[in-house]
Amino acid sequence: MRRFAESIIKLKWLIIIVVVGLTAFFAYQARTLKIDADILGSLPDTDSVSILYKKMGTQFGGNDIGMVILESDNIFTKKVLSHIHQITDSIKLIDGVSTVTSLTNIIDIKNSEWGIEIGNLVDEYNLPDTKQKLDSLRSYVFSKEMYKGSIVSEDGTATLIMFTLLPDAHKEMVARDVKQKVQSIDLPEKLYFAGMPNMVNDLTDIIIGDMIWLIPIAFIVIILVLLLSFRSVKGVVLPLVVAGIAVIWTVGIISWLGYEFNLISSIIPVILLAIGSAYSIHVINRINQSIENDPKQVLIKAITYIALPVFLAALTTAVGFVSFIFGSYLTMIREFGMFTAIGVSISLLLSLTFVPAIIAVFSFNKKTPKINNERINKASHEKKSILTKYLLKPIVNLLIKHPKYTFAFWLVVIVLGIWGAFLIKTNSNITEYFKKDNPTRVSENIMQKKFGGSMPVFVSIKGDMQSPEVLKVMYETEVYMKKFKDITFAQSIADLVAEMNDVMGEGKKIPDERAKIEQLWFLLDGQDIMSQLVNEDLDEGIIQSKFASINSSATEEFEEYMNIFTKENSTENCKIEVTGLPHIYNRLNSNIIRSQATSLLLAVCLVLLIVGFMFKSFKKGLYATIPIIATIIFLFGFMGFTGIPLDIVTVLVGSIALGIGIDYSIHVITHFNYALKEKGDVNQAIEDTILGSGNAVIINVLSVSAGFLVLLFSQIVILQNFGLLVSISMISSGFGALTLLPAVLIFVNRKKKITSK
Amino acid sequence: MKKMTFSLLVSSVLLLAGTYVNAQDASTILKKMDNVMFSSKDMVGKQKVVLISKNGNKETRESTIKQKGTEKRLMRFTSPASQAGISVLSLPNDVMYLYLPAFGKERRIASSAKNQKFAGTDFSYDDMESKSYSNKYTPKLLKIETNVFVIELTPKASSDYSKLIIYINKVNFYPELIEYYDKGGKKVKEAKYIFKKVGNYWSATEIQMTDLKTNHKTKMQMSEVKYDTGLTDDEFSLRKLKD
Repeated sequence: MRRFAESIIKLKWLIIIVVVGLTAFFAYQARTLKIDADILGSLPDTDSVSILYKKMGTQFGGNDIGMVILESDNIFTKKVLSHIHQITDSIKLIDGVSTVTSLTNIIDIKNSEWGIEIGNLVDEYNLPDTKQKLDSLRSYVFSKEMYKGSIVSEDGTATLIMFTLLPDAHKEMVARDVKQKVQSIDLPEKLYFAGMPNMVNDLTDIIIGDMIWLIPIAFIVIILVLLLSFRSVKGVVLPLVVAGIAVIWTVGIISWLGYEFNLISSIIPVILLAIGSAYSIHVINRINQSIENDPKQVLIKAITYIALPVFLAALTTAVGFVSFIFGSYLTMIREFGMFTAIGVSISLLLSLTFVPAIIAVFSFNKKTPKINNERINKASHEKKSILTKYLLKPIVNLLIKHPKYTFAFWLVVIVLGIWGAFLIKTNSNITEYFKKDNPTRVSENIMQKKFGGSMPVFVSIKGDMQSPEVLKVMYETEVYMKKFKDITFAQSIADLVAEMNDVMGEGKKIPDERAKIEQLWFLLDGQDIMSQLVNEDLDEGIIQSKFASINSSATEEFEEYMNIFTKENSTENCKIEVTGLPHIYNRLNSNIIRSQATSLLLAVCLVLLIVGFMFKSFKKGLYATIPIIATIIFLFGFMGFTGIPLDIVTVLVGSIALGIGIDYSIHVITHFNYALKEKGDVNQAIEDTILGSGNAVIINVLSVSAGFLVLLFSQIVILQNFGLLVSISMISSGFGALTLLPAVLIFVNRKKKITSK
Repeated sequence: MKKMTFSLLVSSVLLLAGTYVNAQDASTILKKMDNVMFSSKDMVGKQKVVLISKNGNKETRESTIKQKGTEKRLMRFTSPASQAGISVLSLPNDVMYLYLPAFGKERRIASSAKNQKFAGTDFSYDDMESKSYSNKYTPKLLKIETNVFVIELTPKASSDYSKLIIYINKVNFYPELIEYYDKGGKKVKEAKYIFKKVGNYWSATEIQMTDLKTNHKTKMQMSEVKYDTGLTDDEFSLRKLKD
């Protein structure tokens, strides 16, 4: 270690130059960082349901359908119709929009004895204006299954204006243009924007908004914490610069490797500010505490002492983040874990190289480096006295006199925690991840209320799309699907063929002869909807449907319901596969529980291994994990009682809390070992430890908690919960390290004494 | 000073006269074009429709065509095999009869949705109408180039187009290029014409319509065209549809 420290001082200029150079390079890389708000892109390429879902969405254009929802007391008035017409016309002219369908331009096919009549539902150049005309339009629309509940809500108070995008259009840009243009018409009706392109656009805004707000807030919080702990400019600037550089490098690496910021990874800067500054704080603290006179010796001694503990602290933290990259269903969670771990490693590296290099350069030129230290020591001494008097001292007294009370207290916490853990719910419903007033959530709710939801379900049928057998199976599948209570809408090529067969006067069914189907195809060819229902080679078609419920028992029941049918009817020549958002939610739900178990287990094992190695004793490693395991049980209890659900992000808290929280135990055990050796008495060693290290632990807990609490300002509910839970876990694990752990140490050492006697 | 006023007067008179002449010219030119395009009494021929997707995939359909005047037309598909025998009879007042041989019966189709694509092509029903342009549009001469008159057409009735710009050959008054603009003033489609003289008439041997939004193309190629063969109204009856 000493050699490491010496070489850092020797190479100080090289280190500074390299860091500055790399920072410039990564800042340049970060410039081109893109934001990817497409949640679907995060579905894994390893699960058949997810692969199929992504494929269906892109191949049949389902992901490229945007919707404007117009809400009014009554859609069927002259004024509202003219507004719908206005919106339709203005969307039509936007670059990247392929087609627009609304009440005012939708095709209407009437079938009667003497023939069929193809026309527009309403004449857009001559909108119905009398009450009689409007009433008859209303009753006609509600008489046709094709319109009712799909383009006009069943209560007649909302209507959809749907648009499709050209294949090479930039989804977000088009959605943005549509929103701007439609809003600029300034209509009195309520307007909502739904569908994948709009959702991605909204999410991008949220991510950017979060970054613009959260990162400065995090900076301010860290500055405050640093000011309180160091009360010197150097103590504030250096950790802040290091945290800033770590953020730039990490973001630069993300961009350099071709990744993009997603919903979750966009909070990496905030997290790095919260935890990454801690390592340089440790290093600076250690340097300040040295009593040597030669600044060079001060540095070498400090680094020699602090390098290993800081390295292990960072290592356990990184392990916490890495532990779920193997088990998570969504790639965005894996990316989040991976890049945060990289960021933590960068913070560590900078704290051990760049920080001493800078201090070396500046302090060697100064003649009076001690003044600062004295001030700092005095300042921290004052703070110490308050904390010591009102918190640490009482803890020591209680511990030494009644260690059993501490056990009893924690036992109650653990029992309550286990009880609460049984109340935990999981939540994989993406819309609930956003605040109640979030535009995405609001429009999803409207879709749910007025149009039977917007959770897509796709049934893929692979087979000859012009064969009567295949089309019949498709038709039957659709009929079977529609019998399920939450399926309100379904359409397929089989529908259209049956419809056309009816037009030819042979009833609404699939014809028995192939020749008939081929000729009916002549009527359908070139219709815009065809590309949404069959592929170009005519060997795959889909049933497009919507699922109305978000209830997880309903989604599971539906998957099972469809499985029964698929098993019985899927054949070599007509392969049926079902996918959809309900299926994805089912996967997410079961994965949340599974990955919670595996990531925690993995994190506990790795941390145990690291800490055991550090103390060269498995037993001590075990003691160190006791407070943190108690914390995790407390955390689950807290979630259970407060109703904060396990979701794709809160599922990470356990491992992260373990990775960061273990540091406090390490501090306490290290100090205790040292004190016990020196003093020889358990009680005195405990007192020495808590009074000596208690401050550092509390300051660390406060700074990390404060950093994570910044996430309360996020617009995304799951990130708010995440910040809150990590903060609570930090407080709990710090408190555990100062109460439960010493109690365990007292208990074990007293027992040892007795047995040795 | 006096001289200047005079020259101003002269130039404005000339200017006015100029626009007047142009207006005259534009409608005359368009009428001449209508005459060239729609003057035959009847026509028979073969039509090949090639649909070309953005990726270059081609799909071909062939049919025979009989037309009388501008409002009666019988199309009978000959290929691909699955569509052979499908016939479409168009009669005045937007009435069509469709015959599907596999069903052995015809259905009457009345379509008022003019902006819909015609049978999977890039032509809308509106584009396919053989109605004189003078009736449907108000012309304005934009400029005269070496080989063509460039005329802007504004629809008289409601339409999906805001305007058409048409390039008419100076010598034979056949359109070489028609550009279609949407209501935002953006060019959305263009049709290129290749033509030659058949008997007394100029006849398009190929019209290539490109949808500029989707980059999808339709080529309509005519061959074995004969004019004024003396088709009777009986050729456009329901009985003939099934033959």
